[in-house]
Amino acid sequence: MIHNYLFLSCILFCLGIVGVISRRNVFTVFMSIELMLNAANLAFVTFSRIHESMDGHVLAMMVMAVAAAEAALALAVVILLHKHKSKLDTNVFSLLKG
Amino acid sequence: MSFVITLISLAGLYALLSAKLIFALQLIVYAGAIMSLIVFIIMFLNIQPDDLPKEETKLLYILGSMVVVLPIGLFLFKIVKSLPITSTEIIGNNFGGVKQVGLLLFKDWLVPFEIVSILLLISLIGAVVLAGKRGMSK
Repeated sequence: MIHNYLFLSCILFCLGIVGVISRRNVFTVFMSIELMLNAANLAFVTFSRIHESMDGHVLAMMVMAVAAAEAALALAVVILLHKHKSKLDTNVFSLLKG
Repeated sequence: MSFVITLISLAGLYALLSAKLIFALQLIVYAGAIMSLIVFIIMFLNIQPDDLPKEETKLLYILGSMVVVLPIGLFLFKIVKSLPITSTEIIGNNFGGVKQVGLLLFKDWLVPFEIVSILLLISLIGAVVLAGKRGMSK
């Protein structure tokens, strides 16, 4: 059944949204974002299996590249945050508020 | 961490969907590179327990966000249910192999591929500038 893959993708995406909204630990938020990207990947690959064309695989590879770039940048920002504030709280980011 | 298990089992699902290249890439890039990067940063920062935010109202927030997300999830479920049923047998003739995906990538998807490469270069420079400032300022 191909539906189960898509159900799993939906569940993973919703879990990612819940994690981003409700948690305040920077690492948890980051991992939730990665979870959402993975859910999108799974949906891409599943649909490319349904249509038996490989465009979805190429798109999934691009999503992976974007995720890797995002991981590098986000972790650099986390290092800076920990150095300046020595906290891992997303509320610290509110100091940008005008 | 359970995040690693999720990523590795997702790689298994890709293999079941006969996406061999994506299976290998998921294992190498996610379970290998990104996870080790996260673990390395966590070790590097030497986090004390009082650095972490105290989330007294965590459960409340989780419930609230579930209420927000639930309609979206149910909507997606309904969409998925309306799709026609397809079998998920492993298909042969090199579907999802390296050669086929590579040919497609360098023929039809060349411009997005180049854009992604530029994005990776920019993020590389950005990460070095952000994290390496400490060495220069001393």
